[in-house]
Amino acid sequence: MQRAIEHRGIPTVSVTVALDITEHSKPPRAVFVPFMMGHHFGVPYHRELQRQIILEALDHLVKAERSGEVRFLPITWAQARREGKAIEEAAGRMT
Amino acid sequence: MTAHSDETKQLRPGLWETVNERYPGSMITKDDFVPLAPLRKPLSESRLTFVSSAGVQPKGTMPFDVGHPVGDYSFRRVPSTSNPSDLEIHQIKYPTHGAVNDLNVIFPIERWQELAAESVIGGLTPNFFSFIGYNMDSERLERTLAEDIAEAVVADGADVALLAPA
Repeated sequence: MQRAIEHRGIPTVSVTVALDITEHSKPPRAVFVPFMMGHHFGVPYHRELQRQIILEALDHLVKAERSGEVRFLPITWAQARREGKAIEEAAGRMT
Repeated sequence: MTAHSDETKQLRPGLWETVNERYPGSMITKDDFVPLAPLRKPLSESRLTFVSSAGVQPKGTMPFDVGHPVGDYSFRRVPSTSNPSDLEIHQIKYPTHGAVNDLNVIFPIERWQELAAESVIGGLTPNFFSFIGYNMDSERLERTLAEDIAEAVVADGADVALLAPA
């Protein structure tokens, strides 16, 4: 999919949670986040984290120098969940 | 590659092998890298599109066929001006408990709208593109769905594309 779009001259970047699949399918550019499947942009209501992941991906889109380059983000799933929980508690949501 | 998957903290390591063992030939493996397409203008002037395999679709559109044994090779257009409340998810292959509370964890449409409003990116294509990741015939996916979406992305005037393979 990503390769088909890049082939048409449109620069692409993907956000992946499955590094082994990325290594096999060889997309042109990817950002790896060590998150749960279905949670590529983090946790509910954590706008800053969602935004940060997008901005990292866009930065990688601009700066990647060779096809297949993967950027690793220095954040853990445990940290994302902790921050998300704090945000939900601060907002008074039941978790 | 800057590291191998064995050295990382992927939450479900060995996913490729697991799926390929259960459904032989279903997983894509490439031996080569495609040449990088250059950015033609700064991000702040570029129109962005988003492609997702999360099965997100506008309410009222034909639901993805999540029960078909070899998958659904169609895609849906999701207007980039949509509110999350206009959208729903049809798929059964990844955990959606986060997305049910906040769709932006898998389909960050509100973050895209904010970044466009702030001119971090030049704008959004009229549509984003969505399909389901459960497709057991990888050759068919490459021949049909991947090409169909790539054509639709070009037709929508995208300068750059961000993808999230759910």
